[in-house]
Amino acid sequence: MYIDRKEVLRYMGYRGQNIGHTTEKLLNDCIDEVASVSKESFLYEIFDVEHTAEGLCLKGTTLTLAGEDIGKHLANSEKCALMAVTLGLEVDKRITFYSKTDIAKALVFDACATAAAESLCDTVHEKIETEARSMGFETTTRFSPGYGDFSIGIQKELAKVLKAYEGIGLSVNESSIMIPRKSVTAFIGLQREKSDKSGHSCESCDSKNCFFRKGVE
Amino acid sequence: MGSIFESKELLIFDGGMGTMLQAHGLKAGELPESWNISNPEKILEIHKAYIDAGADIITTNTFGANRYKLKGSGCSCGEIIGSAVKIAKEAAGSKLTAHDIGPIGQLMEPYGTLSFRDAYDAFREQVVAGAAAGADMILIETMSDIYEARAAILAAKENSHLPVLCTMSFQLDGRTLTGTDPLTMVNIISHLGVDALGINCSLGPKEIIPLLARVLKHSTVPVIVQPNAGLPIILDGKTFYDISPEQFGQYMAETAKMGAAILGGCCGTTPEHIKELRKAVSGLKPVRPEAVKLTAASSATATVILGEGAKIIGERINPTGKKRLKEALRNGDMDYLLKEAVAQRDAGAHILDVNVGLPEIDEKAMMVRAVFELQNIVNLPLQIDSVSPDVIEAAARICSGRPIINSVNGEKKTMDTIFPIAKKYGCLVVALTLDENGIPEKAEDRLKIAEKIVNRAEEFGIGREDIIVDCLVLTASAQQKEIRETIKAVALVKEKLGLKTTLGVSNVSFGLPDRELLNRTFLAMALTAGLDAPILNPMAEAMTDTIKAYNVLWNIDKEAAEYISSRSEVNEQPVFKEKEENRSLKKLIVDGMKEEAALTVKKLLTEINGMEIVDTFLIPALDVAGQKYESGEIFLPQLIQSAETVKRAFEAIKDNMLKNAGEVTGVSKGKIVIATVKGDIHDIGKNIVKILLENYGFEVYDLGKDVAAESIVKKVKEEKALMVGLSALMTTTVKSMEDTVKALRQHCPDTRVMVGGAVLNEDYAKMIGADYYGKDAREAVKIARRFYGCE
Repeated sequence: MYIDRKEVLRYMGYRGQNIGHTTEKLLNDCIDEVASVSKESFLYEIFDVEHTAEGLCLKGTTLTLAGEDIGKHLANSEKCALMAVTLGLEVDKRITFYSKTDIAKALVFDACATAAAESLCDTVHEKIETEARSMGFETTTRFSPGYGDFSIGIQKELAKVLKAYEGIGLSVNESSIMIPRKSVTAFIGLQREKSDKSGHSCESCDSKNCFFRKGVE
Repeated sequence: MGSIFESKELLIFDGGMGTMLQAHGLKAGELPESWNISNPEKILEIHKAYIDAGADIITTNTFGANRYKLKGSGCSCGEIIGSAVKIAKEAAGSKLTAHDIGPIGQLMEPYGTLSFRDAYDAFREQVVAGAAAGADMILIETMSDIYEARAAILAAKENSHLPVLCTMSFQLDGRTLTGTDPLTMVNIISHLGVDALGINCSLGPKEIIPLLARVLKHSTVPVIVQPNAGLPIILDGKTFYDISPEQFGQYMAETAKMGAAILGGCCGTTPEHIKELRKAVSGLKPVRPEAVKLTAASSATATVILGEGAKIIGERINPTGKKRLKEALRNGDMDYLLKEAVAQRDAGAHILDVNVGLPEIDEKAMMVRAVFELQNIVNLPLQIDSVSPDVIEAAARICSGRPIINSVNGEKKTMDTIFPIAKKYGCLVVALTLDENGIPEKAEDRLKIAEKIVNRAEEFGIGREDIIVDCLVLTASAQQKEIRETIKAVALVKEKLGLKTTLGVSNVSFGLPDRELLNRTFLAMALTAGLDAPILNPMAEAMTDTIKAYNVLWNIDKEAAEYISSRSEVNEQPVFKEKEENRSLKKLIVDGMKEEAALTVKKLLTEINGMEIVDTFLIPALDVAGQKYESGEIFLPQLIQSAETVKRAFEAIKDNMLKNAGEVTGVSKGKIVIATVKGDIHDIGKNIVKILLENYGFEVYDLGKDVAAESIVKKVKEEKALMVGLSALMTTTVKSMEDTVKALRQHCPDTRVMVGGAVLNEDYAKMIGADYYGKDAREAVKIARRFYGCE
């Protein structure tokens, strides 16, 4: 499993400081441990996109995708892949354990796990891309609940459509939080022409003072 | 009715429902249970197809008919289950119906936000509806979390008289998604009074067979198997399963020959599969293999078997004679308990004894909390240690594993109160060899009491393998001649009754010098007499070393492998670096050198007092680290390592104060209650705030994550805290933060509220009515210091 060190550091608000021996070791240990305890699993399905009076729908499902931003994202897509990935519960267990016994480790471990989930998303995205190309499609970037005006309130419905709890143990609580914590759901549009790649990014985001913002040194 | 599972014939269940519904046009994401109301004829058709295929029992279309999944569907649990059972009964005719109960679909605490109580209530609602509608049995299926399975079984047993079957789903790695292995499942579930247990879903029959073998080996009740139609393969974005109905039938015949008595199918199986299954097992009869009975305690994810080498029961979570633990219990300081638990585990404990009895606290509430927190953090089985049956029952109920109850004795009254609890919750029981007349002097008389207890237990339906006998250790200083009687009694209990034994070893040396020498010698004597589970302090190396040596000399540790590896660890232990020690304490803190800083503080404590160390070293060093963080010279993990270092230094100072003055004084700068609000489960940020506040001398009451407004209000009132810190990370949980602020305003008007979390900002904080917005942990400390006038 690939864990991008630079991403891990970004999640911890790193701005080019001297990392130092102690923190360096902690970082390396956590990267190894996250890689060894993650139980990466994923699900995806590809649906036809239907534009109806109520909005964007995925054919054969109960989903209606509300919001301007997801609409824009899938504007040129004939089909849409819905994916869900998770690192499994052991990662959560370790984070809970370390946040009781060694909070610095909990923080670093958590950041490594976030990077690992991102990298798993990349892997699944590649699989979807391969499948899309065999059908003559290009893929858009990933678009997840919580991006722009696309509410995370939809998480529960997504999990139901993919049978994510039965399939990979991914559940969604009453506050729309996914558990295991290190889980991601995303939509990828399948369209005939190449996507311009400008998905949801730090530059396009309004939170200028965000702790995680890229490109601030 | 329960007897049908002991039938002379194999019992055949139906196959998948979801697959069939999809073929009939069920949309992805649509609630399958709603079809009981909207398309009852389709459901009836599917049931009938399974009856025609040869099923003896059909399963109602109610897998997800719980209040959480039905939310927003417009249908009530009672309506859906009532209708489903009616359809199933119509299809079944003279055959039987099983009321299907699947997992709630939300993870339980500590991973998720669903409490044991809430899960139980949801299951109870289902159970009552199913029983009222006339289902013949309850099938609790596809469970991943043993804790949830336990809640469902209790709800089924307490609210109906129907037979209960329970299956769990395993992954290819041989564990459920939450980490339970087959032995642990059997050890926990078979003792909860189910009529059958087994494996279903997730895997095909081929992958299930090796797991099934492990279940069959130890299950004392009939075993059920309901595999998928093989493993799923995705083709063109659709899911298929990889084995044919014929192959399915063949594999299932194999499971019957191994000893499974109840057979059926899960995802991807169709009436065709059940027909082939029926055909393949025709002429086969149930073969019930003799179960290998174990004396074994379990956590949710691990099982400890007594009798296979000495197993250590850690004794340190017991306030008797421990000032620091008493203080922690009085303050509800769970972190201290957890630290003790982790330390014992790391030192080699296999099971943890938990005793939180103090006259001035609510023992029941504390025990429940302790068991809950401990089982979330340490995967060791627990031994519930209390004199109060109330406390024992409350703890046994919420325990996620199979605990040991400590204890009963030969008094009839005690046995008659404790055994029903042990039976109901499937616990092991420690039996003390004393009765109304006290502790008998002679070994033979203690044996008699042990015998009496085992016989009485059997009358309650508790197997003799579930009794662990404690022949009682007296002190050599007072009753020297009786020490031998204890050793003799252990040997007698082993020889005459064949039971497992335990002893509280350290009692022996009370009142004599060099206690450890007596303890370890006595331990060696008792082990050779047949002691299985000594209760001792695993941090005392002399004791754990004695056990390691015994395991070699008694031919348990083969080729002395573990012994040799433990010896090399001893040699590899790092020697304390003199150079580091000489670095200034302030620098050690800024650099986050935890061990070195704690040692330096211990040395300093011989020269100056604790408070002086806090004021001249700890706080100034923290300030330096804080400033470096703010100026961007260091980043978050480095700041926190400094905070951890200060925390360790503080611990050393506290211990020192307790030792010298008997109490901790002069440290508190003020009380602050903190929590992550209801619905939210992110607590790293909150924990960072907590450690920094503690570093600066605040008394922090951490209520954890997913905390209801009422609990926060209650704690604030109890402690008369003037400040509360709330954390929420999601847009969806800021609402619950707002509700909490409102509740605090109403009930604790004098208390100020500080809020923080990723989605908040100054304006947002004001909007929800908070007094302060802490953008990060440093800011939170500054706010608290200003508020309590520390600056």
